[in-house]
Amino acid sequence: MTSSRRSVLTAGVAAAALASAVPLLGRAQQRPRQARMVPHGDLNVLDPIWTTQNMAAYHGAMMYDTLFGIDANFNPQPQMVGRYDISQDRKVYTFELRPGLKWHDGTAVTARDCVASLRRWQAKDGAGTHLFERVADTPVVDEKTFRIVLKEPYGLLLDALAKTSTPVCYMMKAEIAATDPNTQITKHIGSGPFRFVEAEYRQGSRVVYERNADYVPRNEPASGIAGGKRVMLDRVIWDIMPDAQTAASALMAGEVDFFEVPPIDILPTLASAPNVKVEVFNKFGNVGYCRLNHLHPPFNNLNARKAAQLAINQEDIQRAAVGDPKYYQVCGSNFTCGSPMGVEDGAEALMLKAPMAERQAKARELLKQSGYDGKPITILHATNIHIMNQTILVIAQNLRQVGFNVQLASSDWGGVVTRRSNQNAPEQGGWNVFFTWGGGNATSNPIALSAHAANGRKAWFGWPENADVEKLRTEWAYAAAGEPRRNVARRMNKVMFDYVHDVKTGQWVGPVAYRGDRLRGLIQVPEIIPWWGVERIG
Amino acid sequence: MLSYIIRRLLGVIPVMLVVGIFVFSLLHLAPGDPAAIIAGDNATAESIARIRANLGLDRPLWEQFSTWGWATLRGDLGVSMYSGTAVTTMVQQRIGATLSLATTTMLVAVTIAVTLGVLAAWKAGSLLDRAVMGLAVTGFSVPVFVVGYIMVYFVSLQWRLLPVQGYVPLSEGFWNWLRHLILPSFALGLAYVALIARITRASMLDVLAEDYIRTASAKGVASVPMLLRHALKNAAVPIITVIGIGVALLISGVVITESVFNVPGVGRLVVDAISRRDYPVIQGVMIIFAAVYVLINLLIDISYCFLDPRIRYS
Repeated sequence: MTSSRRSVLTAGVAAAALASAVPLLGRAQQRPRQARMVPHGDLNVLDPIWTTQNMAAYHGAMMYDTLFGIDANFNPQPQMVGRYDISQDRKVYTFELRPGLKWHDGTAVTARDCVASLRRWQAKDGAGTHLFERVADTPVVDEKTFRIVLKEPYGLLLDALAKTSTPVCYMMKAEIAATDPNTQITKHIGSGPFRFVEAEYRQGSRVVYERNADYVPRNEPASGIAGGKRVMLDRVIWDIMPDAQTAASALMAGEVDFFEVPPIDILPTLASAPNVKVEVFNKFGNVGYCRLNHLHPPFNNLNARKAAQLAINQEDIQRAAVGDPKYYQVCGSNFTCGSPMGVEDGAEALMLKAPMAERQAKARELLKQSGYDGKPITILHATNIHIMNQTILVIAQNLRQVGFNVQLASSDWGGVVTRRSNQNAPEQGGWNVFFTWGGGNATSNPIALSAHAANGRKAWFGWPENADVEKLRTEWAYAAAGEPRRNVARRMNKVMFDYVHDVKTGQWVGPVAYRGDRLRGLIQVPEIIPWWGVERIG
Repeated sequence: MLSYIIRRLLGVIPVMLVVGIFVFSLLHLAPGDPAAIIAGDNATAESIARIRANLGLDRPLWEQFSTWGWATLRGDLGVSMYSGTAVTTMVQQRIGATLSLATTTMLVAVTIAVTLGVLAAWKAGSLLDRAVMGLAVTGFSVPVFVVGYIMVYFVSLQWRLLPVQGYVPLSEGFWNWLRHLILPSFALGLAYVALIARITRASMLDVLAEDYIRTASAKGVASVPMLLRHALKNAAVPIITVIGIGVALLISGVVITESVFNVPGVGRLVVDAISRRDYPVIQGVMIIFAAVYVLINLLIDISYCFLDPRIRYS
């Protein structure tokens, strides 16, 4: 038997290939069931009660749990609560926690923890404050049972506990929940379906969660953020990427599995990439609002506000800011078109089908009647966020066209956020107009969204004042769910348009992009990205 | 020499003081309220005011400055207003990525640029010289993000040779570390190749016109030893100066590259901190940057003595 130099070389290469393949095969078998997401922003605050930032709410959904959750039909369903009972006079709610609930440090979740968490949450949340103004007491009955005793019946109690808009009512350990609501918590112990891996957390770069093996999901199938939170992934990693093009490339190359907010202009590229799916998860999307300062001229005058309402053209704005009509709509509701409260009564002025020239002529007339003296109006202009930049430029042009003397105060969003809270006159550091948007889900609730309040200087920035709106908000809270609430919303929508609470600039959705060859079972919920129920298939 | 180094080190103190006052004043006088950003979009004015008070931002500026200044002198750069993480920890977590990127970039840039610069000077006026200078102008003119996206498109998406983004520390394997740095280093290094190649060429041209080079050539010294041993060594002072400035600029100038290639470095840390007005992080990182600049300048000055014996500091 002879062996040539070539055959020895071949055998050697084959052996080396086999040797290198064995660990690879082993690694493939042991590959963790992992998903990587590029979220819309950085998780820089770990306390989902201290801040209303959405990223903190996302973080909360991973590691904390809620007493109730909203199902796919937007009805509150028990989550941590096993059984609950409402007294006949509807003033006493008794909640019993379901068995098996544990904190991530292994201790049992108690009723005392829940009451402490409720107390901290209500201090920071509009809906929570509204509820607790009507709460007489929150007694702990035993280890697993507590009550909420109301001064008077209040129809939104369960809705408030279940809502997904920030701050979400997450449960924390009593000693952590004892932290002043305006001070950030420093210990991060939840009871949710995932554990936060603090050792691997890098602010601005990476957030890691691991499956909580002790979590006991409910028996029902997952629905919305209610139902059984069955975790089928070992790890979920959030890669914080400041550059959208890089995130899109990483998704196409398979380095990440889920990209939450791909810019609209990249969507066609992503949609045509192999194995990438582009879908709208949050059907309510976002609602834009142009806030007018009701404290100072010219917008302390109703006719000037009406002139602005007629001048500002939703279609122009959406075309400039979003672009693709597939992803935006003109909407005449203060409470999100397509939502249960998405009524458009009274929005005729905004939805006017008349040519823009007619609207502008009417706006000019109203502006004249307002006594506007031509003094420059200051518009806060955030230049570092695409949608804000584009929207403000169109608003400024719309207002100029009807005779407003417009002056842009340009800065980054951080500058706008600071200046918008200034109640002084524009020449003393205040402002006349600024633009922002809210999640469609949050906006659909007249109580939960603080921007709907109309209690003057105590209201959200812009400080609108209207006693009828305040009365109707309370009436809405007391109304029975369904058509009675919708009827109140109709009246409220009309009043808000008549006195020009603010000027709506349209509604748009932002699709997500993900690897369809790797992930299955993603749950479509507004304002949260749940990772339970998701399977890794490739 | 020793007294020179000590004097230079002592000179760091007033520089740091000026930097500290400047950064603190600039940040606090610029519009932007971290409390409002922390509170989020749905927050009320009362909530923002309470957070501001808890963060101590409602105290007089002189009081805030003295508290921060005294802590900094003791080596305590404070904690992030957002995550509560110590600034030193945040820098430690990120400095590895920035130093890795800066080191590989300078290695790529210096190796390519010095070679090209020497060749261009040696063959001055030739097609090679023009090609090198053309490349230099292009490298300097094309923004780093354009180069980055083009490289990602071909190398990562089309040919699947290297990852699109990310960084892994050296402890996770040399090749794994290196393959994540190749694209960003080339993208970022291109501008430095251009800069250093031009300086090398100009400096070499001066030296090549000297009498001793002509003498060496007349004595029959081969081209390569003559270029490297006689010409390049004597042309090194301006080249080293530019490289030194380049290193200093790189430490803080890698922001765009870090964003395009998702490298979690110090540059991105400070830009993120500025956008959300995280004062302790901005102040802490700026102080560190200033110290690094001073140190690098000192090292460059000292290196002159070794490169050119005629230079001595009294």
